[in-house]
Amino acid sequence: MKQVTRNIDPASARDLLERVPRACLCFACDHGPQAQPVVLVWHDGRYLVGIPQKADRKPEPDQEVVLLIDEGVHFFDLRALYIRGQVKQASAPREALAADCTWVEVVPLKTVAWDYGTLREVRDER
Amino acid sequence: MNVDDPAMLDILRRCMVARIATLSCNGRPSINPLYFVCQRGRIWLGTSEWTLAARDVQADSRVSVLFEVEQHMCSHRVLRISGQASVRTEQKVQRSYALRVARKYLLTPGGIGNYLAHLRQFPSMHQYHAQSAEKGRACVIEVIPQTAEWLEL
Repeated sequence: MKQVTRNIDPASARDLLERVPRACLCFACDHGPQAQPVVLVWHDGRYLVGIPQKADRKPEPDQEVVLLIDEGVHFFDLRALYIRGQVKQASAPREALAADCTWVEVVPLKTVAWDYGTLREVRDER
Repeated sequence: MNVDDPAMLDILRRCMVARIATLSCNGRPSINPLYFVCQRGRIWLGTSEWTLAARDVQADSRVSVLFEVEQHMCSHRVLRISGQASVRTEQKVQRSYALRVARKYLLTPGGIGNYLAHLRQFPSMHQYHAQSAEKGRACVIEVIPQTAEWLEL
């Protein structure tokens, strides 16, 4: 049995971590889900996330979050890295000392990547 | 929420991919990039019933959606709309959404160029959509905005 997939090896989407076209963080708070645009620095394999100081809500240490880095507008250009993980305190990376942010590290539990430009048939392993 | 704010209307008109944050029935967060159109003060995001985004909305109707203009990413100005969402599957809604999406994404120079550049992948794309249809109906996540904020990065 075969199926068509958009999923790719997250390593193939490494350029998204180097260029960071846009990144956002999602977490739960009292008011429901919170989507927050963030600064992302990928350093030594660590996902360092800068949340603007003036953000009204921030995730608590150890809280579950999803970090999304995505790009593209047209169907075959849509690509993304979706990282579910836990937040840990972190210090500002040297690359982003100027940014007025609170820094946290997202420690990944599960990472998924997709690229609609690579739609292809694969063996269905369900 | 001031839906007549020209800056807000402008970003909703020019943004192409919205990112919708949701919570599961267990309170687990998720966020997904989706195509969208605006319809009489509401936001329609296209997906399928089986997706995490649609299942989350059915479990918890609260959503938070980010909009920014992709062509001007250096501006770092993002609109965040929070509101209540529901999953709509009526044929009338699907038809209206499909027409608007065709106008916004497909029948444009960029949209046509993108499809022409990937003609060889058309069979895979059709099969991918057919697989999705087997798993569940197409649907629209309808968001009724309650608050809107400008965010700067």
